[in-house]
Amino acid sequence: MIEFLQICVGGLVVGSIYALIALGFSLIYRVTGAVSLAQGGFSVLGALIGYTLSQTYGWPLFLAIPVAVLATVAIGAGLGAISFVPALERLSNANVLMLTVGLLTAIEGLCLVVWGSQPYALPPFSGESPARIGPLLVPTQAFWVVAAAAAVIAGLWVLITRTRLGRALRACAENPTAASLMGIGVKRMTLLSFGLATLIAAIAGVVVAPTTTLQFDTGRLLTISGFIAVVIGGITSFPGAVAGGLLLGLTTQLATAYVSTLFSNAIALLILLFVLVWRPNGLIQAKVAGRADVREGGRVHGHVARLQPNVAWIAVTVALAVALAVPLLVTSNGIMSGITIAMILFITLIGLDVLMGYTGQVSLGQAGFMAIGGYTSGYLTIVHDVAPVLSILAGMALSLGCALVLSMVTLRLRGLYLALATLAFGLLVDSFAVGFVDITGGPSGMVGIPSFSVGGYEFASPRAMYYLVLGINVVLLASFFGAMNSGFGRALRAIRTDQTAAAALGINIVRYKLVAFAISALLASLSGSLYAFFFNFLSPDMVGTNRSLELVSMLVIGGEGTLVGPLFGSLLITLLPTVFQPFALYKTLLSGGLLVVCFLYLPQGLYGALAERLARLSLGRPARAGGAELIRSTPR
Amino acid sequence: MNAPSSPSPAAGLPPVLSVRGLEKTFGGLKATSNVSFDVADGAVTALIGPNGAGKTTVFNLITNLFKPDAGEVIFLGENLKGLPPTRIAGRGLIRTFQSARVFPAMTVLENALAGRHRLVRHNGLPQMLWTRAARAEERALRERAEAMLDLVGLAGDAGRHALDLPMGAQKLLEVVRALMAQPRLLCLDEPAAGLNDTETEELAALLRAVRESGIPVLVVEHNMSLVMNVADHVVVLEAGKVIAEGPPARIQANPRVIEAYLGREADAAA
Repeated sequence: MIEFLQICVGGLVVGSIYALIALGFSLIYRVTGAVSLAQGGFSVLGALIGYTLSQTYGWPLFLAIPVAVLATVAIGAGLGAISFVPALERLSNANVLMLTVGLLTAIEGLCLVVWGSQPYALPPFSGESPARIGPLLVPTQAFWVVAAAAAVIAGLWVLITRTRLGRALRACAENPTAASLMGIGVKRMTLLSFGLATLIAAIAGVVVAPTTTLQFDTGRLLTISGFIAVVIGGITSFPGAVAGGLLLGLTTQLATAYVSTLFSNAIALLILLFVLVWRPNGLIQAKVAGRADVREGGRVHGHVARLQPNVAWIAVTVALAVALAVPLLVTSNGIMSGITIAMILFITLIGLDVLMGYTGQVSLGQAGFMAIGGYTSGYLTIVHDVAPVLSILAGMALSLGCALVLSMVTLRLRGLYLALATLAFGLLVDSFAVGFVDITGGPSGMVGIPSFSVGGYEFASPRAMYYLVLGINVVLLASFFGAMNSGFGRALRAIRTDQTAAAALGINIVRYKLVAFAISALLASLSGSLYAFFFNFLSPDMVGTNRSLELVSMLVIGGEGTLVGPLFGSLLITLLPTVFQPFALYKTLLSGGLLVVCFLYLPQGLYGALAERLARLSLGRPARAGGAELIRSTPR
Repeated sequence: MNAPSSPSPAAGLPPVLSVRGLEKTFGGLKATSNVSFDVADGAVTALIGPNGAGKTTVFNLITNLFKPDAGEVIFLGENLKGLPPTRIAGRGLIRTFQSARVFPAMTVLENALAGRHRLVRHNGLPQMLWTRAARAEERALRERAEAMLDLVGLAGDAGRHALDLPMGAQKLLEVVRALMAQPRLLCLDEPAAGLNDTETEELAALLRAVRESGIPVLVVEHNMSLVMNVADHVVVLEAGKVIAEGPPARIQANPRVIEAYLGREADAAA
């Protein structure tokens, strides 16, 4: 019983942190209709600044902590003003969500550059010795955490319900157009909500820092937990966010204690998937109507210039010649490996482009399918001595199965819920990869995976693997170009931009979404298998959530909805750290920053910008006349 | 209150579409009550009425965007009850929307091509494999789409981004897209709303060409001169009820219709 209570206290502390992060989500969502995933990043940033001020410069805590919080808010508001606020006017909500993924990555990259990758812990605010309440031992920091959460909740409640400013915020939340007509500066309110959310996140960061260790990428765990909490609780309601946070904290702590440390994440994620299926709006729903689609119209998608056939054929010939010559020109083995890795990842990206770029379905868990493919191939070839080709097919079959099961959840979801469900899927696969030590080798990875071989020929060197993957890529590109530039691709793009109008033309939305999802899963699985064969090794963090988010960056930086574009993103992000060693440290910062910049200023990506230049080289052509005949006649 | 059994202006053919006793209530508000009418084959039927009469609601009930509380819709002898919009479109009942809903990420030509979706035979795998049949079909489709765009004067804009077109051109494009689907019945929701006089004239010409081709049309419209110009049969809706129907000339003279449109005092003043 005492043990149970002790665990509950722990759960309450963790839950308070989740609740704080969740409150930030809910606040921004209610005011802007968009979600910012940067929350957890600001928590870590605040804690690390606090560490430097108090431990390196020796400031007393009572001074260091508030200054750290204020500094974080200043940085957060600055970043918000140049990225999040302008993005709201230009991008769809799903893309704003992706942009904040870039923001989160950039903040992590910044922390990596400044603080390195080692873990940090602040000293407890009021001494190490725990307080004794009856038979329970409670660390004093727990009181700080709970008190901070209570103070923030109370403060927010007063602000929202009792002040003029709060009324203006609520007006923006319910009807931004009307609010702006009433003289409320919607932009300023957006920035204010972003700054407030940063404040909440920073407070959460500094109070939690003494109870655990933080490093540059702990932020994404906090973000994910807060996101899960807010969806379980109901994103449109503050009490929902708090309840969701506490529930999640208690559940994970109890699961860790009584079930298994390794699967506590899995349990949280399964709860989330159930909530998404049974109560997609969360357990507690606000009385105000949701506003998800208020600003959706008009900003859905820019278009990408298409090349005229003659230009396109020349470009294809040149590209193919260059691709064939690359292994002859590149002498460094490191760079050759980098190029091969980029090409292997490109297989996943083609599928992701079909899913995201063409069909408009967000996926933050694509690496999960890479993991399924990679581990299945590795396990079958090592333990059962199965031929690599067959092991790849087995992985693809398993991925397809998982995709079909997952699509029972995802087909009903859109926008941020879809993003969250796919994220949860990736994390679930990740926690199984870590947890099933006997099969996957656990956190230290699976060793001894053979190289890919067919009929006795072994693709052992990067060059051999390069030509194999190049062949696969060419076949995939050729077939998807065929499909995407004709009826199949048009149906997908119709669904992306207007589902109602697409249905009114007889386009079966469910079927096409399912096919696009299946294609992306199959290709990711294939790519994951090849990835494992290439490294002769696979560990959970090679195909974890970091990878999923990196894939999204590559896709957007290269150019969505272009098929070939993502190769540019893949090459850029994979090769820069290899070619220029100092970049290794800056890689995270760079890929996050590039993602934000591309979303804001280069929505068609690197390739899209290039294609637009090329397209100007060619002209349109005129057409002929007809009449009633034409309308009536059926071809053939 | 029931509609006359056969209003058919085109000789004796069974109606393409029969609407029988449609009822829909939103909150306590009766949007349509016992709406019944027929759409004759090969003719243009217009559904008119003052603002808020429930015209668009009737449209959305026909295409099952809303579920009716009572009543049924028979299309080519088949009850559409419970069929999702996709399946209804698959049967050849193609509709447009009040606010033009062109696909924003596509060019004008691609929008027109997308309309053909339900009739494309070599979809998906054959296109991935670049089969001869798939390529031939795509080529034929392109020629047809270009010719159709030419018909409404949009051929020069084929390569433009659809959202860059002026509103009137977007509405024409939406009609072209619907026609590409080779509808068995074409339903247009206020096609002339937002169009200027020249564009409305182009639309009228297009509608006459459609009728000439034998495709029946059901059109919801505010613009009376357009309705009187192209319609064979007019159904008048007021406050969710059918108050009159008949050929345009008779409707124009019907005192109840005049009253519904102009109000009693206005009528007296005029």
